[in-house]
Amino acid sequence: MSITAETAKEHAKDPAVLCCRAEEGTIIEVSNLEDPAIFDDLVDSGLLNLDGALTIGQVLGAKLTKTCDSLSPLTADVMEGIQAVEESAPVKAAEAADESVTEAAVVQTAPVAQTTAGGVLKIHIGEGKDIDIELPLGGMGGGSAVVPAVAAPVAAVAEAAVAEVEAEAKVVRTLTRKHYKITEVKRGPETKIEGTTLYIREGIEKECVDSQKLVCDLKVEIITPADYHTYSETIMDVQPIACKEGESEIGSGTTRVLDGVIIMVTGTDSNGVQIGEFGSSEGYLDENIMWGRPGAPEKGEIFIKTQVTIAEGTNMERPGPLAAHAATDHITQEIREALKEAEDSLVADTEVFEQVRRPGKKKVVIVKEIMGQGAMHDNLVLPVEPVGVLGAKPNVDLGNVPVSVSPLEVLDGCIHALTCIGPASKEMSRHYWREPLVLEALHDTELDLCGVIFVGSPQINSEKFYVSKRVGMMVEMLDVDGAFVTTEGFGNNHIDFASHHEQIGMRGIPVVGLSFCAVQGALVVGNKYMTSMVDNNKSESGIENEVLACNTLCHEDAIRAIAMLKDVMLGEEVKSAEKKWNPNVKSTNVELISNVTGKAIELVQNEQSLPMSQKRKEKYD
Amino acid sequence: MGNLQFLLRQHVGAPCQPVVKVGDKVEKGTLIAVPAGLGANIFSSVYGTVQDVLEDRIVVQPDEVQKEEFVPIKEGNHLDMVKEAGIVGMGGAGFPTGVKLGTDLNGGYILINAAECEPGLYHNVRQIEDNMEMTLRGVKYCMEISNAAKAIFAIKGKNKKAVETIREAIRNEENIFIHLLPDIYPMGEERAVVREALGKLLDPTQLPSAADAIVVNVETVLRVAEAIELKKPSFSKNLTVIGKLNGGNEPHIYMDVPVGTSVEDLIERSGGIDGVYGEIIMGGPFTGKSTTLDAPITKTTGGIIVTIDLPDLHGASVGLLICACGGSEERMREICEKMNGKVVSVARCKQAAEMKNGTLKCEDPGNCPGQAQKCLQFKKDHAEYIIIGNCSDCSNTVMGSAPKMKLKVFHQTDHVMRTINHPVYRRLTVSKQEPQLPGGK
Repeated sequence: MSITAETAKEHAKDPAVLCCRAEEGTIIEVSNLEDPAIFDDLVDSGLLNLDGALTIGQVLGAKLTKTCDSLSPLTADVMEGIQAVEESAPVKAAEAADESVTEAAVVQTAPVAQTTAGGVLKIHIGEGKDIDIELPLGGMGGGSAVVPAVAAPVAAVAEAAVAEVEAEAKVVRTLTRKHYKITEVKRGPETKIEGTTLYIREGIEKECVDSQKLVCDLKVEIITPADYHTYSETIMDVQPIACKEGESEIGSGTTRVLDGVIIMVTGTDSNGVQIGEFGSSEGYLDENIMWGRPGAPEKGEIFIKTQVTIAEGTNMERPGPLAAHAATDHITQEIREALKEAEDSLVADTEVFEQVRRPGKKKVVIVKEIMGQGAMHDNLVLPVEPVGVLGAKPNVDLGNVPVSVSPLEVLDGCIHALTCIGPASKEMSRHYWREPLVLEALHDTELDLCGVIFVGSPQINSEKFYVSKRVGMMVEMLDVDGAFVTTEGFGNNHIDFASHHEQIGMRGIPVVGLSFCAVQGALVVGNKYMTSMVDNNKSESGIENEVLACNTLCHEDAIRAIAMLKDVMLGEEVKSAEKKWNPNVKSTNVELISNVTGKAIELVQNEQSLPMSQKRKEKYD
Repeated sequence: MGNLQFLLRQHVGAPCQPVVKVGDKVEKGTLIAVPAGLGANIFSSVYGTVQDVLEDRIVVQPDEVQKEEFVPIKEGNHLDMVKEAGIVGMGGAGFPTGVKLGTDLNGGYILINAAECEPGLYHNVRQIEDNMEMTLRGVKYCMEISNAAKAIFAIKGKNKKAVETIREAIRNEENIFIHLLPDIYPMGEERAVVREALGKLLDPTQLPSAADAIVVNVETVLRVAEAIELKKPSFSKNLTVIGKLNGGNEPHIYMDVPVGTSVEDLIERSGGIDGVYGEIIMGGPFTGKSTTLDAPITKTTGGIIVTIDLPDLHGASVGLLICACGGSEERMREICEKMNGKVVSVARCKQAAEMKNGTLKCEDPGNCPGQAQKCLQFKKDHAEYIIIGNCSDCSNTVMGSAPKMKLKVFHQTDHVMRTINHPVYRRLTVSKQEPQLPGGK
């Protein structure tokens, strides 16, 4: 059926197909075009062949040079005056653009807090429009302070937002991160930090091997940027090197972290079988790592890479991979000890994270589903040291039941991740350290993030429902206005992912889900509460491409999910998903959000930016 | 001649109130019912005796001998005479013409609707060919009454003789023009006429006055002239009888048939039904309704069609595509039942907007909004056949997808088209663009 200007804009990059017969000389308008939402069905029924079709954005306003019948794709040979793609279709100026993000129109204004000479002046503005603040400077000690008036460029706020007098935001706890810069990693007689050089004790490998019964061998390689084109066994984890200072515990106090270097765990069994074979990331490092993902290394960082060999046949059972992680942590722990001794003069940067509660704002919770199937999937919860092993409980042993943590505990490495199969969509330990949704929600002045719930994804269906019912109860008790549910991986875990939605949704709580879906991870189950979904896919073809962390939750996914949840909490409807994966839905949503916020949203790159690996060439692209 | 039945509701508005009683003698032109609210006077079309006054009709037994003379309406200004004569829109809608022409157009347009869009009907075009002079004077009265500066005849270009007749008649008329319409259905819908002639697409809720225009059916125009010049009340109707009749399927065109005449009388006058038939339709194939032999014609009846038998689907699953340009859902279901089909899915064209009174109006008559999705619905609902009532353009679109989905397509008008040897509505082969006469002359 013919479409509206709004639909045309959303689908500007989709193929243009005539909905009805159009005669030669017709200037193509939106009313001439068929709705792309039904293309899949039409293609399936053999009614439509989209080969060579121009996009909707290209044909609008162009002239048809030949009379064509309904369901004819508009191709270059029958069109004259095709629009350049950038020039998007003339669209009604109506602000009610897309159901999915209409109300994201409220611009957050940065909280202003200025210290003046005479004492503390605190002005907090949650939302606002045209707010001018004038203060007599004389009475405030010399008039040295200038409080910038906040005139938020609110583009389209329906109701004039008023600077509400609300219960003040409360800082529940803080976490300080001290950064120590490392520019070189060397082997030496003892593990120590000297200036910006990290030394790792020679011969430590043997102790690592001896510490674990199942570990047969462990090699340490120092990978500098010059060595990125090095073959590696499958990457089992990427971890920050961090320790707690003094008596402070995970999630509060002070954490010390090394910048410019990470721990990378890799390995096989003694037969050379990858840990997590069938869906692993072995290969040249530079071809298999999606740089800069929250869970992945940054380009330029040095890797302390262990290659652990575990007993034959233990690569697919929990104790094997766990032993590889524990053996590696033997080295990390020794670095942590050295880091604890590092002088304060070496601190390159200090970051302070505040866990802020904002009473009166929409209260939300983040439910993060983590793998707990138990073969090699496990997560160590709440170790003593950031991303450590000691003191942590494996979530499989906890029965995968929900565990509540503070946002700062998440960012302080409370999860030591043991993931393997399907590296593109799995969250490495470092992911939690830089978890984008937690960070965005925590900093969103319109939201009151009350906490994070981790819930394991058990292997057996009955257990999946057991844990998701607990999630429902827990979320109910929290009296939240909305919830996020995230997951890693795809397939089996989508059963409980769906059940979490149901358990939360049936309690009348709006819920937004985040998962890799696209083509290969298309949801296998669903229910009526799964209406608001954000797809974490970044890959070109919508697949699990075995490139480390490629399809994990990024900043761009977090902001879409937040915009969506805000809308849903306001009672807006989210347009239902198309039958088949359409990457344009994401780009349209991103565009709509940035139109409203006035901030450009930089999208991350995908595997196409990497050198092509033999495996990708053969298996995927 | 059998009894005549005058329905008390022959127009848009409330039923009229009878002003005669059983036993009253009436003459041709005697006022027998008056409006109660919006409506128009109803007159007897014959000399005779009131035999019955029922809730919805007055029954008159005609005298053996009928004179030509009629009771004239009283003189007044032109608008008053139109009102007095009880004229209503004769294209089928039946809106009281006196009310319509009462609008001050401030120099706008009178659009004369001579589209005669329903296939099988010929009386409008024939009227132009035979009685152009009085028709033209009617146009001028309409212009004068409503203060219009221009008038445009909207007629299909295929009616070459009628077009030439109009051209000849308006040659020296400064303010009267012709707009030629393409031969597709529907072009006679009021808003389609405005769109074609003036290039302005109205919303379904808007009246032509939103485009500074009044659309008047060509027969109505003639009746206006008769009321003013002959003081003749509205009691006669032009119509076409066609179909499976003894003597063949050629149209029988009748002028000035007395309102109230039965369908049976007219069919008999045309030769009678030829053997087994499917149904009798009053009105056109698209918007008409099935009727019975004893039903009377009204001021708005344009056609009586006797069709061949309908095909038998033997209980097969059928999807109905309802639109504003064809039959209502009720009519479509009726046809499906007559075809012995089982309705499993009903879809409504995206452009069929529902009005407050429950009727449907097309948002852009004759320009298809796409139907592929509807066909997907029928397929999903496991329909084997579909019955559509769509316009030429939409039918064409349906044919672009339904057959490939293995849906067998029937059009609501198929049995009529087969009866009168008119092509069935499927693929559109003609252009929607009609070349215009130079300067509209």
